[in-house]
Amino acid sequence: MAQSVIGDVDTAFWGARAASVAELERELARLRRAQSAHAREQGRTIARASVLNLIVYADRELHARRAAESISQLALRHPSRAIVVLADRRAPEGVDAAIEMHCHLPSSDGARLVSYEQILLRARGDSDERLASAVIPLLVPDLPVFVWWTGNPPTSGRLFGQVLALADRLIVDSADFARPQATLPELAELCERAHGRFGVTDLNWTRLTPWRECVTLFFDVPAWRPFLSGVTGVRVGYAVDMDGRDSNPSQALLFLGWLASRLGWRPHEAIAPHEAGGLLFAIERSDARRIMLRARPRFERGLDDGDVSGIRIQAEHDGQLGEFVVKRQPDPRHQTETVIVDGRVRWERTIPMPSPAIVELIGEELAILGSDRTYEDSLQTLVRLA
Amino acid sequence: MATTIVNPLREGLRLARTPEPSTIVIFGGSGDLTQRKLMPALYNLALQRLLPGSFSIVGSARQPLTDDQYRAELHDAVGEHSRTKPLNEEVWKTFAEHLFFVPTPDDHGYDALRERLDHLDVELGTNANRLFYLATPPGSYAAIVKAIGVHGLRGRTGWARIVVEKPFGRDRQSARELTETIHQVFREDEVFRIDHYLGKETVQNILVMRFANGIFEPIWNRQYVDHVQITAAETIGVEERAGYYEQAGAMRDIVQNHLLQLLALVAMEPPAAFDDKAVRDEKVKVLRALRAIRAEDLPDHAVRGQYTHGFIEGVAVPGYREEPGIAKDSRTETYVALKGFVDNWRWEGTPFYMRTGKRLPKRTTEIAIQFRVAPHQLFSREASAGLDPNALVLRIQPDEGVSLKFGAKVPVQGIRIRSVNMDFDYGASFMVDAPDAYETLILDALRGDATLFTRRDEVDQQWAFVDPIIAAWAASPEPPYFYEAGSWGPPEADALIEQDGREWRKA
Ligand SMILES: NC(=O)c1ccc[n+]([C@@H]2O[C@H](COP(=O)([O-])OP(=O)(O)OC[C@H]3O[C@@H](n4cnc5c(N)ncnc54)[C@H](OP(=O)(O)O)[C@@H]3O)[C@@H](O)[C@H]2O)c1
Repeated sequence: MAQSVIGDVDTAFWGARAASVAELERELARLRRAQSAHAREQGRTIARASVLNLIVYADRELHARRAAESISQLALRHPSRAIVVLADRRAPEGVDAAIEMHCHLPSSDGARLVSYEQILLRARGDSDERLASAVIPLLVPDLPVFVWWTGNPPTSGRLFGQVLALADRLIVDSADFARPQATLPELAELCERAHGRFGVTDLNWTRLTPWRECVTLFFDVPAWRPFLSGVTGVRVGYAVDMDGRDSNPSQALLFLGWLASRLGWRPHEAIAPHEAGGLLFAIERSDARRIMLRARPRFERGLDDGDVSGIRIQAEHDGQLGEFVVKRQPDPRHQTETVIVDGRVRWERTIPMPSPAIVELIGEELAILGSDRTYEDSLQTLVRLA
Repeated sequence: MATTIVNPLREGLRLARTPEPSTIVIFGGSGDLTQRKLMPALYNLALQRLLPGSFSIVGSARQPLTDDQYRAELHDAVGEHSRTKPLNEEVWKTFAEHLFFVPTPDDHGYDALRERLDHLDVELGTNANRLFYLATPPGSYAAIVKAIGVHGLRGRTGWARIVVEKPFGRDRQSARELTETIHQVFREDEVFRIDHYLGKETVQNILVMRFANGIFEPIWNRQYVDHVQITAAETIGVEERAGYYEQAGAMRDIVQNHLLQLLALVAMEPPAAFDDKAVRDEKVKVLRALRAIRAEDLPDHAVRGQYTHGFIEGVAVPGYREEPGIAKDSRTETYVALKGFVDNWRWEGTPFYMRTGKRLPKRTTEIAIQFRVAPHQLFSREASAGLDPNALVLRIQPDEGVSLKFGAKVPVQGIRIRSVNMDFDYGASFMVDAPDAYETLILDALRGDATLFTRRDEVDQQWAFVDPIIAAWAASPEPPYFYEAGSWGPPEADALIEQDGREWRKA
């Protein structure tokens, strides 16, 4: 039987199976009533809240489940209806294309709101052409639609195109790209094509927020700001595993793309990886002077592959030599910023890093509607750089 | 000037408006307020990555302390009072490296302070941006402000601002004098008078609720609102503040500032923008329109009380006059109930009932908008027996949130109507620890945003309203009415509202 070939989903997590959209909505209404009854026993009433629709695409149940768990933790900050599309492309031949639906209302005890509705659409066989038709009637009307595409976005795929047509914002994670060198340019092209119809973002960009903050704060200081026009070199370290394989420099590259786009630097040439590993670029500053940017893989305990581990910016101004350094010190959960002028430490500060959990990153992105110009500029610049 | 070149990296940064590099100078840097509120707030701002790229804190007081002693003292104080625990030692270490103490017992002290500030500017590359904070007993405010002027503590470049703690004066006259003294050194737009109620998230939410939602404004007026009740109830007694409280009383301590600010926020017209000028212009209009209570109207419009012994949460507590440091025949009021009117187009004839007190049964601050009953009762008397008029309640503390009471049909059994409370809980809805009011206020002062601080004309109007009441009470031979600790105030306060056919909400 086809069912046993693919394996069943865990109904304790995803909820009972429903035969149709109408039945699914009835089941959700029933679940809401059950929660209200429970709340009324405690003298409270319950309301339903949602501020957004979120379509999650995953091709493994494990990924779908992790994503759903993250979103449910965000339910109170971002009340939502989540439609999780699980499409197992490895399904064997001969399975009839079909879509299976499940729904569930996870809620923390004592919640006064139904703030998270979770629907699973489970595609069997080659269902690409029919999936969108199952998603559309499930969207809560008049609320923004976020699409969180886990794994590689197949930018020319049919289903991807259809889902994107519904989206206000697309969220991807370049840390999961199998071949970032190929996918990042495709993403850049997608941004251009989107042309304001929907926004695009990358969780690796979200991970850079604390780094961009620290670097920006350096140059808020009036005495250090002029150094920004005299940058002579930039080094970004990023984490790799012990033997240095599987390296994904997307995050480090996005940082360089950001700096270059903000400071009006022009790509000059990408120099092949040298023996120290990593990537080396020559760029031209806005005054046409040529400088080097480097992304260096480093093995560091406690970091995920590809995470930025430190940034060093060297600059000159008025005959003085400035170094502006941010590192994960004294441990990966903190950043220490240091300003050194002519070899003397002038400023040092340690601050906590925000949590790197996916749920926090997604939470930050769900708060933004529309496109993030700064990200898109950084991505375009990075693509020209590399 | 260096600051006019914008930082090109700022564009599109998600970090909301970090303040410019600067130094904060706290006078009264060894006091209770600094230890319990200001320093924990600054440390928590550091934890949240909200402090500027270059920043230092200089404490000052008359006593001699070294930087190291000062750091050690504050390390323990912050460890105890911070809302986030335990203390993050890694963060504290570099935070404390930018924490200094300069004793200012005399003129030399102030000169030393200036030298220290100038040195920090050079070392940290800041632009002599300075925020002064007056956290000493109010008696020293004037002398310190003068010293700031005389000793040239304002930098030659950059901005200077001054935060002034409450109380701001003890009547209209002394408040005006204090403002004049401050104006010899600071312009009004550089003066940040603290009313820490305004730093609370939910107080700011009053404005968001009213003006970001289209549905409330059309009914926010005399036509639909029957009356408004503002309650600020404390369970604590006078605690260690006997000396101050005996001189102040509830009128100066709570009504003059906090309650009148809440009143202004609920009653004000929509400001043209959410900025310091527009918001405060509208608030001051309300305060100007607040009808003065004349001496002959006093008994019907204002009731004062004083607590006697009783029970709070099951524990026996002494009466006010039995508290240490309080006169045995004290006539200081620990409770005030008022009926006020805002004489303008929107609110003509709508009473604003306000009450505050110590040793009340429950700690709660809320604003209740009581709407009129539906103009025509469609449903039979029996059917609507369980129906109260609609009320919108803005809960400020604890359990910050909003609830709306409306009628709904009881299911099935024909038409029977009951009142239902629909609750919205900020805490549960956003699941974030609300920042302490002082975090918000210090950050705003560092950014130069005075929206949540009181302007001189507001303070002036606030005193103009309470001064005559205080004077009439002082002149009256009658003592305040007594109420038992743990009750909702004296019976006369109930009479104040019941004479109008209304009653205090069960808060
Ligand atoms: N504590 C609170 O919870 C609280 C709440 C709201 C408002 N406030 C207001 O905040 C202010 C401070 O209250 P507090 O409770 O912190 O008082 P406190 O504990 O008595 O501290 C007063 C501080 O001011 C210093 N000081 C006194 N005279 C000075 C002068 N002429 N020059 C420089 N420093 C001087 C004292 O140190 P030296 O004696 O060594 O000079 C001490 O550091 C008061 O205006 C109060 O109304 C306090």
